[in-house]
Amino acid sequence: MQDEFNLLDMAEVPLHEWPVEQTLDNCIKCNICVTACPVAAVTDKFPGPKYEAPQAGRFRHDMQPTPDASVDYCSGCRVCNEVCPTGVRIAEINARARRQITKDSGIPLRNRLLGRNELLGKIGSYVPRLANFGLQNPLSRSMADMMFGIAKEAPLPTWSTKGTFWDWFKRTRAQRLKSEKKVVYFNGCATMYYEPFIGQAAVAVFEHNGYEVIVPPQKCCGLPMLSNGEFDAASEYHQYNVDHLHDYAAKGYDIIGTSTSCTLTLKEEAPELLHLTDERSHKLSYATWDIFEWLRERHEAGELKTDFRPLNMVLPYHAPCQYRAHRVGKPALDLLELIPGLDVRESTARCCGIAGTYGYKSEKYQIAMDVGAELFDFVKTQGSQVEMTACDSETCRWQLEHGTDLPSRHPIEYLAAAYGLYDLERRALLNE
Amino acid sequence: MNEITIIGAGMAGLMAGWQAAKQGKKVKIVAKGWGATHWLSGCIDIVGYYPVDGTEVVENPVAAVKQIITDNPQHPYGLVGLDDIEAMISALKDECAAAGYPLHGELHRNWLLPSAVGTLRPTCLAPEMMIAGDMRQNSPLLIVGFKQLMDFFPNVVSDNLNKQGITAAQAMVDLRVLRERSFINPVILAEMLEQPAVQKELANQIKPHLGQAERVGFPSVLGMDQAMTVKKELERLLGRPVFEIPSLTPSVPGMRLHHILTQAIVSAGGRIENGMEAIGAKKENGKVTAVYTSTAARPHPHRSQQYILATGGILGGGITTNSDGDVREVVFDLPVTAPLKQVDWFHQDFLDKRGHPIYQSGLSVNKQFQPLDDGGQPVYGNVFAIGTTLAHCEAIRERSFEGVALATGYALARQLGAT
Ligand code: SF4
Ligand code: SF4
Repeated sequence: MQDEFNLLDMAEVPLHEWPVEQTLDNCIKCNICVTACPVAAVTDKFPGPKYEAPQAGRFRHDMQPTPDASVDYCSGCRVCNEVCPTGVRIAEINARARRQITKDSGIPLRNRLLGRNELLGKIGSYVPRLANFGLQNPLSRSMADMMFGIAKEAPLPTWSTKGTFWDWFKRTRAQRLKSEKKVVYFNGCATMYYEPFIGQAAVAVFEHNGYEVIVPPQKCCGLPMLSNGEFDAASEYHQYNVDHLHDYAAKGYDIIGTSTSCTLTLKEEAPELLHLTDERSHKLSYATWDIFEWLRERHEAGELKTDFRPLNMVLPYHAPCQYRAHRVGKPALDLLELIPGLDVRESTARCCGIAGTYGYKSEKYQIAMDVGAELFDFVKTQGSQVEMTACDSETCRWQLEHGTDLPSRHPIEYLAAAYGLYDLERRALLNE
Repeated sequence: MNEITIIGAGMAGLMAGWQAAKQGKKVKIVAKGWGATHWLSGCIDIVGYYPVDGTEVVENPVAAVKQIITDNPQHPYGLVGLDDIEAMISALKDECAAAGYPLHGELHRNWLLPSAVGTLRPTCLAPEMMIAGDMRQNSPLLIVGFKQLMDFFPNVVSDNLNKQGITAAQAMVDLRVLRERSFINPVILAEMLEQPAVQKELANQIKPHLGQAERVGFPSVLGMDQAMTVKKELERLLGRPVFEIPSLTPSVPGMRLHHILTQAIVSAGGRIENGMEAIGAKKENGKVTAVYTSTAARPHPHRSQQYILATGGILGGGITTNSDGDVREVVFDLPVTAPLKQVDWFHQDFLDKRGHPIYQSGLSVNKQFQPLDDGGQPVYGNVFAIGTTLAHCEAIRERSFEGVALATGYALARQLGAT
C-alpha cells in the first residue's frame, strides 16, 4: 500500500501546511452548506455554516472578542465540509472559533467533565455497578442536569462490569495469536471502559486473518477536549499518543482503530486544529486506519478471508458523519455487503444528532434529537423485521438506540459474527 | 472492483451514473461536494441563443442543434447527435414524472420564462411548477416576494416585465412564521410552505393584491418534496395558476432534480460518495489503474475498469489555472485546449458580448468521448470525459449547460453499457 502513495506527486497532497482559516477565501457564497447543515435546519439559534465560518471568520482575530457566540451551537458534524464545492474547512474553522470563546470566557465545568471521557471511564470502571446505578438513576441524572447542564434524558454509556479491554487482553495473552504479520490496535476510551467486546471482536477478526495484534500504551485521542475548546489539554494527550505510536508508524506498522472519531483525530483533527506540521504527527496520521478502511484494502488485495456464514437479517446501517469526514467512502458497507443473507440498508440521513458530546448538553439535547429524527425515521421505515442497527461510532450507536429503542452494533461485531467468532446477542466471543 | 468510477456529481456525472447503473454496471460516483445541480435553475436548457454572438432567442432547439452540428462538428452535440438528445429528454421526463415532479417541454420548442430579474429566458424543459410563467402567452401577472427572503425582489421582476410590455404587478408578503425567525434560507422557507396553515396565511395576504392578475409568480421556494401539492393547494386558494421563478442559490428546483437523480442512481445500485476531492491518478501502460482522492490522511485509491471525468470546466473546478499562465486538467493532467497566452484569456470588458476565451478551454475528445492528445490519439484507453469539461462549446452563452452535460453523460453511458 505504501508504494502507491509514493507514486503520487507528494506536493499535491495537502499536508495541513496552512491554518484552516485560510480556506475561507475559497468561499463563493453559494449557500449549499447552509441548506445541508442539520443543526441550522432544526434550530433558529444557529444561522448556519456559511455565516459562522467564511463570514464571521473574517472578523475573528486572536486579540479581538469573538464576533458571534452562536458558533457554540455548531455540533461539529462536518456535513458542511462534505457538500462544500470549494473545499472550505468550515467545521474546523468553527472548532477553532469555539476555542477562542473558551479563551475569552473560560471553559464551563460541564464541558471539562465531558471532555474527560477517559478520566470518567477510569473512575467509573473501579466501581462500575455503582457508577452505572448513578447514571441510570433518575434522581442523580436530574441533579446532574441542574448542576452541570448534562441532559437527564441523554444516552450516556454504561461501564463494563466485566473489566476493561486491557484487562481482557492481558488475561488472554497466552491465547493470542503470534504471527509475522502484525497490526497495532488503537482501542480508544469507549472500547476500554464501556464496550470491551468491540475490541474483542476486532482482535478476533485480525487474528482470523492471520494478524498478531499489538496494543501499545495509549491515551484518549483528545477529541472530546478539542470539540469543547480545550486545546491545551488535548495537545498533551495527542503528544502522548505520538510519543507512543510513532515508532510503530516509522517501522511501517498500520495503526488501526474501531472508533471512527479517535482515528479521525489521529489522522487529521489533532494535527489540523492544533496546527502541528511536524514529521512525527504526519507519519502517525499516514499510518492510521479505520478498521473497515483497512479491511477493505485487504479485501481489494485479495487477502481477506471471506469464509462468512449467513446472517439472515435486515440491517439498517448508518455511516456516521465522523466517519464520512475520513473521506474514504463507506468501507463498512462494502464489506457487510459480502456477508450472505445480510440485507444491508444504507441510511442517507445526515447525522444522528449526538455529535460526540454535543447532545449530552441540556441546552442541546432537543436539537440533537430533532437532528436525529431523520435517521430514526429511516430505521422505522425499514419495517418491523428490523431487530438491530449498525453504526461505526460509539456515541452515535448510543443515540441510535435511544432514538429507535433497537439495539445497535458496530459493523465489526457483524463481521466477527459472520466469521463464526462472535455472539451478536450476548456481545461476546463465542469461545469465551 | 467497480466497473465504472465517475469523478464529479454535477448533471453530467449523475446522468452517466444513473444510465450506466440502470444497464447493470457497477458504478461509483466520487465528488468533492455538491455543485452545479444546486446552482442551476432546475430547467433543462438545450440551446437558448444561437449564434451565440447574436441576441436571437432560439425558438426551435432542433433547428439550432442541427445548425451547431453543421457549423462545428466537434461541439459536444456533434458527438452526441439529435437522437441521443431526444432519448435523454424522454428518459429524464419519465423519471421525473414517476417521482411525481413532471417536467414539460419538447425539443422542437423552447419555453420563454421570466428570470429573477424580470428578463425572459428560453429553456427547453421546465418543471410543471414553472410553466404557467410562460411569456409566449400574454396574460397579466402578479409577482409575489417574501419580506424575509432577501434574494428576491418582486418589484424588480415586475418593473422589468412592464418595460417589455408585459402587464405585471407585485406584492410583498410578511408571514408570521417568518417574522418569528432570525434566519431564513430558501430550503427552510420551502419546507415551511409545505404546512397547510402557512399556505392559507400566504394566500390570504395575496388575495387583496390579485387585481387583474390571471396568474401568480413566486420565487422558487414552493415546497421541497411536496412541491406539486403546494402548487395545487395555492392554485385552489387563489383560484389562478401559480408558478415559480428560479431564484438565487441554493436553487430549490435544482435540489429537487438532484434528489430525483441521486435516488434513481441508488435504486439502480450505484453509489455516490461525497466530500472526496480527486487529486491524481495512477497510470500504467496507457491505462489508468487508480484515481486518488484526498482523505483525512493518505490519498485513497479508487480502482476501476473505466473512469469518467465529469468535473466541469473552469467554473466547475475540473480545469484550473495558475498565475504562471498554465491551464491544467486536475485529475489526469490531460491536455487542455486553451488560449495559449494568459493575456488572451479575457477580453477587456467584463460583460463582453463575445464571452471570454478562457471559458472555451476544455478537453478535445473523439466520438467515444476519449480525451485526445496533440496527435489526435486517445490519451488513455479507459478514460472518458463528458459535460462542460469538453472544449468546443460555450455552454453558458449558448444556454446549453444542462443539455451538454446531460446529453454527453447519457450518450457515453449508453455506449459503455452496450459493451
Ligand atoms: S459542522 Fe455540522 S453543525 Fe457545524 S456548521 Fe457544519 S453542518 Fe452545521
Ligand atoms: S458551501 Fe462552501 S462555498 Fe458554498 S457558501 Fe458554504 S462555505 Fe461557501
